[in-house]
Amino acid sequence: MFLDAVILFLQEILEASLLISVLLALTEHFHRISGRDFRLPTYWVFYAVLFGAIGAWGYAVAMPTISEWFDYVGLEVVNSLLNLLSLLLLLVLATIVPSSLLQDKPQLRSRIAALSMVIIVLLALMREGSEIILYLNGVMSQAENTIPVLSGGVIGTGIGISSGIFLYYSLISLKQRWSMRACVLLLALFAGNMASQVVTFLSQADWLPYSAEAWNSSALIPEGSLPGRLLYALVGYEATPSILQVTCYGLAVMAILIGPLFRRAWWQKDRLQGSV
Amino acid sequence: MRKNSILLLASCMLVGSVQAATPEVEIVIKDHLFFPSVVEVPAGQKIRLRIINQDPTPEEFESYELNREKVIAGNKETVVFIGPLTPGEYPFFGEFNPRTAQGKVVAQ
Repeated sequence: MFLDAVILFLQEILEASLLISVLLALTEHFHRISGRDFRLPTYWVFYAVLFGAIGAWGYAVAMPTISEWFDYVGLEVVNSLLNLLSLLLLLVLATIVPSSLLQDKPQLRSRIAALSMVIIVLLALMREGSEIILYLNGVMSQAENTIPVLSGGVIGTGIGISSGIFLYYSLISLKQRWSMRACVLLLALFAGNMASQVVTFLSQADWLPYSAEAWNSSALIPEGSLPGRLLYALVGYEATPSILQVTCYGLAVMAILIGPLFRRAWWQKDRLQGSV
Repeated sequence: MRKNSILLLASCMLVGSVQAATPEVEIVIKDHLFFPSVVEVPAGQKIRLRIINQDPTPEEFESYELNREKVIAGNKETVVFIGPLTPGEYPFFGEFNPRTAQGKVVAQ
């Protein structure tokens, strides 16, 4: 019970904490990309975590009702919509925020960036947190589970958060240009993950047609192994993805990489040149 | 002659639609166990898995091989589509109770 709780909490928290780390590291770089007047305060994280926790609780409460919508595939549909919203906001961060559209409005730019980041994190916490809440609701109904589950939960959460902190410091300790590039590349992979998850959900709901297996890498990195789970949490690794999944993943990654954020991050000289 | 061929066409379509119906398989979750734990399905066909959670607590039906993951609330049921599958074994488990809730889909 204890170990199961550790693993469950770790997996859910890890997905959210890695995302938060990348966005926080990106926050550091944003004003370099977008000019001196652009200030993105880092306390957006607190709002995101707070509203994320509330959202997770609300989603967990609504879950039994939602599960019956659309002939029992309501959860897949709602999850897909939330993922598409995250994908859209990632595109906003990658294309609209650094674009010339908002060049003269640094305040508006920083507000849009902060709001996008808050909502992306909020949605991630809703997804993962609601699962944790439902799990806790279930296993805590038996009194003998309380101590192993709670202590397992604390340990799992601790490991998850530490991994996020490790990623954050790894990212910001790289040389400036590489740090920015790594952040935006990871962001692109997150976007791919969102798109790929939408395909899985809708295939599960039979709203998308069958698509053949693209490859089977379970001999290399089994999905259930430690590196498999880590890669799943970070970039949405699947050992047996479908062709449609891989295609949508690739399209989402490309959509981020053709945006001005990636171009600035990749080609930016170390010193700001004029206004950007 | 024309009336006969229309009738023939209509009955062909009717037969076709019956054959296209997705087979449904039921899995019951009770006392943190799957019944049946070995689910036999025809290979090469889409299958509608109807998962009925008879426990009062939620369970998460998950399978890496099938790429399926879904939480089912207590005393609720749900639907998950799988396949078409190539012949083989596809393990699944209950993430909230992984030690007991285990099973596999066998496609043949």
